[in-house]
Amino acid sequence: MTSIELPAEHIQRIERDGDVVAARQTGRRIAAEMGFGRPEQALIATAISELARNIVSYAERGSITFRAEDHAGRRGLRIVAEDRGPGIPDLAQAMSDGFSTGNSLGLGLPGTQRIMDEFDIRSIPGEGVTVTVAKWISR
Amino acid sequence: MDDIIASSTGGHGQPGDGTADQLRWFDITDTDRRRAEALAETAGDVADEIIEAFYAHLLSFEDARRHFRTDAQIERVKRAQQTYFRELLSAPLDAGYVENRRRIGRIHERAGVTPTLYVGAYAYYLHSLGHLVMDRRGQDPQAVPLLLSLIKIAHFDMAQALETYVEAREATIEQREREMSELPTPVLQLRDGLLLIPVVGTLDSYRARSLTVKLLEGIRDHRAKAVVLDITGVAAVDSAVANHLIQTMTAARLMGATSVLTGLSADVAQALVKIGVTGETLRTAGDLQHGIEIAERLLDG
Repeated sequence: MTSIELPAEHIQRIERDGDVVAARQTGRRIAAEMGFGRPEQALIATAISELARNIVSYAERGSITFRAEDHAGRRGLRIVAEDRGPGIPDLAQAMSDGFSTGNSLGLGLPGTQRIMDEFDIRSIPGEGVTVTVAKWISR
Repeated sequence: MDDIIASSTGGHGQPGDGTADQLRWFDITDTDRRRAEALAETAGDVADEIIEAFYAHLLSFEDARRHFRTDAQIERVKRAQQTYFRELLSAPLDAGYVENRRRIGRIHERAGVTPTLYVGAYAYYLHSLGHLVMDRRGQDPQAVPLLLSLIKIAHFDMAQALETYVEAREATIEQREREMSELPTPVLQLRDGLLLIPVVGTLDSYRARSLTVKLLEGIRDHRAKAVVLDITGVAAVDSAVANHLIQTMTAARLMGATSVLTGLSADVAQALVKIGVTGETLRTAGDLQHGIEIAERLLDG
């Protein structure tokens, strides 16, 4: 197993559409360097896109943190999307397919959960949203 | 460049939260402010001397000389600079001060004063003042602590200006990004009734709306029956982009034209399906050539 030196953490500010693209590219690059296959890279990039776009659309600004993890030989990428926007009053509703307060397909959050191995969402209304997702390299 | 180092009288408001945090970060206390003030008299005495020497130094550089057109202008800038350094020593370091410094930073940035010129000018002033203070008060044990306090405040001051440089640069980048993302989308007629629309850049809701308008106008103007929408050049395809494309293609269908979407990579297509985007409403083709073939069959069939 090769080990690649990666910075422990990479933080990308998310404030505008251009940042969504940048975060996506950063995530894909880190995933590729870690040894994820191309289909998995696309899943990771798409998940980042969804999370970053939610920040731009609903919270105006926030950040996405990338963290390469290595636990007992299990390697993966953990991504934390944080904002201090209005928050989500009803998480169960936000996590159901087709629900959207904007004019979207309502697939962003549930879809992201489907394509990642781990998914955790926390929100305090008025204080923002933190979504943590992870993808592990399949062995 | 008239008001290059212009200044205002400075507000006397309470420090805002941000300013208080910054002062803490630079470890600037009331003691530092008092010590810097104690230098005001000496600094005032030598201000003319320093500024004259500084301008002699500055004007020996051709790049810097270009900024000055007349002697009157140089005089104005010299006076403004005196005010600037007087405030550095004695103005209250509050939110009004920060705003004033940032305003000056923006003026500098627009006038083409680079961070190197700015920091260099600052270093020249501190260095000259340090020497003159030591010449006059070298025996005073307080002289060094006074200068060290001034240096802290000067760094805080420089940080304000440099932040405005970064902000201005970011605003420029954002502006360029917006211009690029708003590049007009061409509508190309490949043959009678068949249009090709290559979409490039990011597809946000503003851009998607203008794409829809262009597409519908194209269909009407060219009496098109089939449209190939190529998204090879779209930077980030996710559910929001898919949503825009679905709406655009549905609108085309209502105008009597069938659209074929091309340029979606296999990996991204899989990711979209997993996320839950259903392709039912989208007619897609693997690549542009195949897409055109499908569109031609639609026309002929």
